[in-house]
Amino acid sequence: MKYSYNWLKWYIPDAPEAEKLAEILTYHLAEVESLEKILDKIASKGEDTILDIKILPNRAHDLLSHSGLARELAALLDIKFTDPTPNYKVPESGPTDLKIEIKTDKCRRYMGRVIRNVKVGPSPAWVVAHLEAIGERSINNLVDASNLVMFNCGQPTHVFDLKKVKEKIVVRQAEEGEELTTLDNRQCKFKKGDMLIADAERALAIAGVKGGKVGEVDDITTDVILEVANFDPTAVRKTAQSQNIFTEARKRFENDLSPTLGDFAMLELSALIAETCPEAKFEEIVDEYPAKPAERAMEFSGDKVRSVLGLQVSDEEIGNVLKRYRMEYTNTDGKFTLQVPPLRLDLALEEDMAEEIGRVLGYDKIKGSIPKVNFQPKPNDLYTKITWARSRLLSEGYSEVMTTSFKNKGKVSVLASASDKNYLRTDLTDGLKESIKLNQVNAPLLGLDNVKIFEIGTVWTPAEEMRVAYGDKKEIKEMTLEEYASQIEKNSAALPASGLRHGQNFSQSVPQKFTMWALYPFIARDVAVWVPESVPSEEVKKVIKENAGDMVVRGPELFDEFKKDGKISYAFRIVFQSYDRTLTDVEINDIMNKISAKIGEKDGWAVR
Amino acid sequence: MTDDKKTGTIHPLSLLAQEAYQVFADMGFEIATGPELESEWYNFDVLNVPKDHPARDMQDTFVIKDQQEKVLRTHTTAVIARAMEQAGKEGRIPAAFISVGKVFRNEATDFSHEMQFYQIDGGMIGENISLANLKGVLTHFYKKMLGEDVEVEFRPSFFPFTEPSIEVFAKFNGKWLEMMGAGMAHPNVIKNIGLDPKKYQCLLFGGGLDRIAMIKWGVPDVRLFYQGDLRLNQI
Repeated sequence: MKYSYNWLKWYIPDAPEAEKLAEILTYHLAEVESLEKILDKIASKGEDTILDIKILPNRAHDLLSHSGLARELAALLDIKFTDPTPNYKVPESGPTDLKIEIKTDKCRRYMGRVIRNVKVGPSPAWVVAHLEAIGERSINNLVDASNLVMFNCGQPTHVFDLKKVKEKIVVRQAEEGEELTTLDNRQCKFKKGDMLIADAERALAIAGVKGGKVGEVDDITTDVILEVANFDPTAVRKTAQSQNIFTEARKRFENDLSPTLGDFAMLELSALIAETCPEAKFEEIVDEYPAKPAERAMEFSGDKVRSVLGLQVSDEEIGNVLKRYRMEYTNTDGKFTLQVPPLRLDLALEEDMAEEIGRVLGYDKIKGSIPKVNFQPKPNDLYTKITWARSRLLSEGYSEVMTTSFKNKGKVSVLASASDKNYLRTDLTDGLKESIKLNQVNAPLLGLDNVKIFEIGTVWTPAEEMRVAYGDKKEIKEMTLEEYASQIEKNSAALPASGLRHGQNFSQSVPQKFTMWALYPFIARDVAVWVPESVPSEEVKKVIKENAGDMVVRGPELFDEFKKDGKISYAFRIVFQSYDRTLTDVEINDIMNKISAKIGEKDGWAVR
Repeated sequence: MTDDKKTGTIHPLSLLAQEAYQVFADMGFEIATGPELESEWYNFDVLNVPKDHPARDMQDTFVIKDQQEKVLRTHTTAVIARAMEQAGKEGRIPAAFISVGKVFRNEATDFSHEMQFYQIDGGMIGENISLANLKGVLTHFYKKMLGEDVEVEFRPSFFPFTEPSIEVFAKFNGKWLEMMGAGMAHPNVIKNIGLDPKKYQCLLFGGGLDRIAMIKWGVPDVRLFYQGDLRLNQI
């Protein structure tokens, strides 16, 4: 979610600067994906920083909001948190005849409030600035108030036009085939069990997901119903999935919001509307609350926290963290009893407390140690056989490839959306054939005459099976790994029993670097040279190399030599290729001519 | 022109897997292997990822037509869970397992994403196994793979099967790189493999082997590993 630094500062005026905050977040809470400076249209000094933070799923229920994140940061940094509640003024409320019926156990709470005599119009500048800072669009004072509440405290809310609602609000599950047009003009047809907000006659909204056209607030709306509700996360998720709708509200509900959040959200939403509609008449809140969560206590031991983390953190340090998070606790001989704050749904197990203490103190406090345990590992038969097969094939001159497991025909079909290859391979041979074709084209580049390859991998016939296949353009042999392994002499000294060779250090191979090949075609040329018998091939190679230019990707490689009449002939192959263009025969001819000329200058040397 | 008896070239991921296995074997880890077409139970449920949980969205899973209980495994953590379950039955705890294997994700491919890739997963279970042990084991591993000057740090993360959950970063050539996900096994996972979470603690880690290869050798595109192109075998 995108967070405005200036917005967070409302709550935590002593927060460090944005860059520092991003670093703290990274090491103690969640990844900061980006940090962007923008103009702040209302602040006199004109700058804000937007932090895009990847809130982790286990904290989505309390951190997907500015006040939520600010509360966390205040505790983490042990700085002041300014509670906005006293600033919210709602006029005295009159009696109401609003009726709310909850007809499903998937709605845990539904708070409704009628406000009459509202005036729909533009939002104040500060509201527009806040919404635009985090990439949202201002619509009108009522819709903006609802959105602002969600991004400020995390509770999605909704506003219905009272005059468009028949009789009452009903929270219920849909009948098969029931229909609704959403605010963004999407035609939805529901399955039985989808979650709806309805009136006496028809669906008004998809519960916790999206509002409908029928109850929409428009320019002439004067009376409204505010909705602040809480739904079962799985029910919201299933309904939204069946309609394929992603909204900010869905994201919050499916991560399991606390129903206790409703009181603050209703206060804030009411106060924001009161601010833009001074003539409005507020009615009392109707609060249907069938699933009020009980106060929750949990126990954990300091020893368990220390044991899981592998960190000698004292009970006192643990207590200090709890105090910063305003968690009430008692500690009797290292056994902590904790009153879990209602918004911290993630804290339930001793392990959760180990994580909480660990991340708050910082995982850098933990020093690594390899445990001294006398493990009794057994050799792995499958891996041993794979290693045997690989060593054997490599020693026989076969090179290893890996090809795709996906084919356009086969015996096991995958339900794939991202590919046209919807079957698992039934053999390795097909893949090897393709590979040989590809590699044969590059044979001069690879320095090979005959491409010999192998693959060890899984196929499905339809049963899963580990296979070995090897061969060249003439013939490919394929068999099960078992069959191949049984052919290998098992007493061969080159094959350690477990397939492992102990005590090596592989970081030595680090300086070795991969060189990406050029994507343009290569040109291979041969040159054969007669020289006196006393001249070693290296000397000829040196002359060729010095005059071959910087386009050589392979060679000069000696591939033939023979003696005749006191002279010796050396034949070399050179492969040219450019990383940025297609080479022409003309320019390679020039290079070859230059090489020939240089060779001709030497006494007793001649190009054949 | 080429001697036919010349030794063939190994695929870089096989070489890396061999090296990784060796490093972990030297710390007492046992190699574990398992099926690529995995049951939903081992791929998800054992690992504390229930049906209808948003966490199942985190990985784009290939499901199998007409085999409702099967998926192409999205990680090799399932292999570790199977091996530990078996070790528990055989009374072989404490134990440590390491597995390198092919995994599958149903997502659009680009230079850093492929529908199939190799993952390295490991776990160690015993009475006092801790996050400090995780740091020790992984620091040793990355030093052996990438060089003695490599540093390792932990950052907070979330996975349904670990609590605490962390993201492992390694500093290589002066840059912090995200290497793998890790943490201490969630008590539900230990329970699901038939062991007592009150008695045992278990560290788990897992990440892409391709990614280590790309960093270690500078391979620019993950898709190069699976094209059957011998120009890849340079190491």
